[in-house]
Amino acid sequence: MVIMRAIWFVSQIAFFGLIASRMVVMEDYFRFYVSGLSVMTLYSAAIFIGFDIYEEAEHGVFEYLLSLPVSRRQLVLGRSIGGGLRAFIYVGPLMCIALYVVGITNPLNFLVALFALFLFAFGVSGLSITLAVVIKSSDRFDILMGVLDALIVRLSTAMYPLSFVKEANPFYGWIANFNPVTYASELFRWGVGIESALSFRNPLLPLLGIVLFFSFFIFLGIMLYERTIEGGGWR
Amino acid sequence: MPPIIRIENLTKKFGKFTAVDHLNLEVEEGEILGLLGPNGAGKTTTILMLATVIKPTEGTAYVGGYDIRKNPDKVRELLGIAFQEPKMLWVSTPWDIVNWHAKICGLSTQERKRRVREVLEALDMWEYRHRNVHALSGGMRKRVEIAKVVIQRPKIAIVDEPTAQIDVVGKHKIWRMLRELREEGTTIILATNELYEADMLSDRVGIMHRGKLLVCDTPQRLKDSIIGGDVVEIQFEAELSPKIVEKLGQFKEVVKITKIKGSTLRLYLNRVEEVVPKIMSVLMIEGAVISSIRMSEPSLDDVFAHYTGLTLEEAEKGGG
Repeated sequence: MVIMRAIWFVSQIAFFGLIASRMVVMEDYFRFYVSGLSVMTLYSAAIFIGFDIYEEAEHGVFEYLLSLPVSRRQLVLGRSIGGGLRAFIYVGPLMCIALYVVGITNPLNFLVALFALFLFAFGVSGLSITLAVVIKSSDRFDILMGVLDALIVRLSTAMYPLSFVKEANPFYGWIANFNPVTYASELFRWGVGIESALSFRNPLLPLLGIVLFFSFFIFLGIMLYERTIEGGGWR
Repeated sequence: MPPIIRIENLTKKFGKFTAVDHLNLEVEEGEILGLLGPNGAGKTTTILMLATVIKPTEGTAYVGGYDIRKNPDKVRELLGIAFQEPKMLWVSTPWDIVNWHAKICGLSTQERKRRVREVLEALDMWEYRHRNVHALSGGMRKRVEIAKVVIQRPKIAIVDEPTAQIDVVGKHKIWRMLRELREEGTTIILATNELYEADMLSDRVGIMHRGKLLVCDTPQRLKDSIIGGDVVEIQFEAELSPKIVEKLGQFKEVVKITKIKGSTLRLYLNRVEEVVPKIMSVLMIEGAVISSIRMSEPSLDDVFAHYTGLTLEEAEKGGG
């Protein structure tokens, strides 16, 4: 999976990114695209934890985890953080390639952005766990993830600036304004110094958005985990 | 001393199917309680509710004084559970699994190292500690599952069919470990469909069938509760006179006497250990010469059949 994702990632940069940057009339689009692509890849790696939930339920590992002397809060938090960290480990080498391509102008900004990306990955894992415990069917979950990926990534600033999205349709722009992928992409670009294409001039706004996203899905994950899983709903 | 586990009207329904039906039971601290019943009797569902893995539909239970509905976190701190089907997690070797479990249960690094080795050695799994669990036999995986409870040394241990798929030598080893665990102060709930295992280990045995607890008592009392369950077969040198047979029939413990093959008597009675000496003295006084004597107690299988009208095999096949 890691190799396949790496091939996909490098191809996107080497072919799509390079070709598209010649078509898009925008300053520094190639770097803009590579940073957005990194966030997209992180998102799709972090969402993977939901599939693990089904596998665990199928093999009865769920029962074991639920019987451990830890609170449900710790369990969901642990799973979310674990899922986020795993996503970072998978995407880490690809991020390094991306950073080599785009460069870093301000290391301190980058550290702040990296912290935000960690929170983003944990939040996406929380979202994935939440959906997995609610949906209860791996097939339906698979389809929903495909749909969600299409919507959440396309209606964000991962691939194009917010002004382009708004121009295409103000409603799309409104959604992109409240999209965690937008916040993560913006912070990544701010962190590596692609200032010209930033939609949010103040990085605190996307940072706050990421914190809220992380907190909301961790809280929701804990609540649903307790209600759905502990009730024996996975059986 | 209050019971360490008090189960009150515990019920679990999955849709229209009632897996556990208004269960009431108390478990004393330090005892081994055997839950006996065929597959589908509700043993595992009861265990999962006690372990706060699933929520009851009705009723509740108090574990160590904590309500499983209101204080599940506190309940889990007291419990250790070895599941019927070994749970192998995402880690790949017996050492990883047991070490991870010990870590979660709060054992320090130093203690963990020592005890993981101790437990895996005791279960003959040390040699296989670095082997991928998926390459292990069912019995070996079961040992890894048991190792989790043994290393944890919980206040209350729940073991679900602990010796399924394990060879005879391994079974005795695990039984010994469970007894040692109890001696260290652990209360044990043993869910099993192996009658001999329940008989060997349990202080009390609860018989479950179709989600209901039919009876719960010491194995001996359960056996004694079968009227005429003990059988004594006496073969004499010569045919016995009707007067002696009548005398034997006067003992209140003797339920029925049948004559087989002329010189052999079969006596159905209760409390064999008390009445046989009395029978022997009557026979000696009457000058009856005995050539052989055979005694048999009822087994838990007989107890199960007595309370359900089915053998365990029939009940497992869904009979009745």
